[in-house]
Amino acid sequence: MSVADEQTKPGSAVLRDEAFPIVDRRFGENSPRALGPHTWLQTQRLLIRLVRDPMTFFFGLVFPIFFLVVVDIVLGDTISSVTGHNALYGSVPMVTLIGAMNGATVGAVGIITERSDGLLARLWVVPVHRASGLLARINAEAVRVVINSFFLLCVGLLLGLRFEQGVLASLAWLCVPVVFGVAFASLVLTVALYWPSTTLVDAIVTLNSLVLFFCTGFVPLDQYPQWIQPVVEHQPLSSAIEAMRGLSLGGPVLGPALGTLLWSGGIAVACVIPMVLGYRRASMRG
Amino acid sequence: MSMGVAREQARPATDVVVTTALAAARPKPSTFGQWWILTTRLVAPTLRNGEVLFAVIASVVFTAGWFIPLNHIMGATSGMSSYAQYLMPLIALQGIAFASVTGALRAATDSVKGVNRRFQSMPIGPLTPLAARMSAGVHRCVVGTAAALVSGHVIGFRFYRDLEYTVGFCVLLLLIGVVLSFLADLLGTNSKNPEATTQWLLLPQLIFGLLSVGIQPVERFPGWTQPIVRNQPISQFVYALRALAGDTTSAAGSVTWSVVGPSLAWLVGAMAIMVPLSVIVLRRRT
Repeated sequence: MSVADEQTKPGSAVLRDEAFPIVDRRFGENSPRALGPHTWLQTQRLLIRLVRDPMTFFFGLVFPIFFLVVVDIVLGDTISSVTGHNALYGSVPMVTLIGAMNGATVGAVGIITERSDGLLARLWVVPVHRASGLLARINAEAVRVVINSFFLLCVGLLLGLRFEQGVLASLAWLCVPVVFGVAFASLVLTVALYWPSTTLVDAIVTLNSLVLFFCTGFVPLDQYPQWIQPVVEHQPLSSAIEAMRGLSLGGPVLGPALGTLLWSGGIAVACVIPMVLGYRRASMRG
Repeated sequence: MSMGVAREQARPATDVVVTTALAAARPKPSTFGQWWILTTRLVAPTLRNGEVLFAVIASVVFTAGWFIPLNHIMGATSGMSSYAQYLMPLIALQGIAFASVTGALRAATDSVKGVNRRFQSMPIGPLTPLAARMSAGVHRCVVGTAAALVSGHVIGFRFYRDLEYTVGFCVLLLLIGVVLSFLADLLGTNSKNPEATTQWLLLPQLIFGLLSVGIQPVERFPGWTQPIVRNQPISQFVYALRALAGDTTSAAGSVTWSVVGPSLAWLVGAMAIMVPLSVIVLRRRT
């Protein structure tokens, strides 16, 4: 069935079949060979959106930088006198992780608006690989966290953070927020697919404040009351912070790093099926 | 209008119906009734959509988040009977700030979805929607104040002065909340991005809260930050609220004009700038 088979009026845009662009369909839309290019294309789209949204810049960078400087001014001396180390070894990882987590709200708001605008539904009916939409979102989050963490690390270096463990350790330092940030972003994405409400942003900010107040980067573990210490010690942010502290200042790395991997892996595994189902549902109901 | 009517009447027969409709007396809606309906429109859904819930949760999170980690490490520096007594003004301020800035989200949503534009085309006084939004703000602030007082009581905060000072504490807190609601409303109405406004308002408060005398006495801040710390509005509010609450020791300060005056001056000054701005915004056709 084609337009040209019927009587087309002179002056209409398409007069002959050949006037249509020739579609290159070497492989089906869900072929694994299409996955790479489609994901890359959508990742680019999301990254351009991120760059153009001032929220990204503010919540990912400006707020964490201010917070870092203020925490250093207010608590830095007190904590250094208690622990004997520069408080930055805990606070820089803390704000890096918080920056990664706060930035995830941008992705959540993005998917909520794209759902209500009908973009998700539109992408569902065009020959785009089904998995590329979600993969692209996760990729974009990973790129965002890497850039974020790099800039925050630079601010930390300016304030007086030093890597005592060599180049390899500092690269590993940068990987910790990426691993945890991507896991957290997929959690936020999953929730946003089932609860497309603007209150979600408030909920994320509140949750982030809560984990920020109760992590070992804010105040050393032994300053918390006895009853809450186990919670503070084993919550995901503290594991990541301790791993990063070990990688910069020195100290145990394996235990906290395993903790971070377990938390991140656990979150990712718990989210993957609901996320795929939720994305399909959100795409099909518009 | 009258010219249009005259022209209609000059025409023969066919437009008689229209002419009588135009000539009929317009209904005179009661401004109070309109205000009440617009207020209930904003207040009624707050229980369902989580606004009240989040105001309460935020108060609890800020109370636990400031008090539990800092009680041990900062408590001794405060010079008051307990760190809870010292910290309470800041907790109350954070709670009320959260309660008031969520109003920005509603204002921004109304603005973006065209509700304000619709109201402008209806026989509603230009200030009625604003008055309704402010009343809803007062409602949220009352909830926020109550939540903060209950959380404060749990950690050990008590009023040590007479009843009129206690009332003064609550009234000052509410006034701050109303001014913040007004600011949030102004920013929200002009915002193109409802989701972002809350965070724009909320995260700076976390930074200014940390950089205020609500956490530790001004002498413990580095010398160059002390003038900023002492004179920024949150510190002044903290001084006033602390004096109004009183303490078993004399460290709370006495209720004099030099303590309470700056807070009132900040509030009056903020309103003096925002009211004209708000009038400009309201007169502008959207």
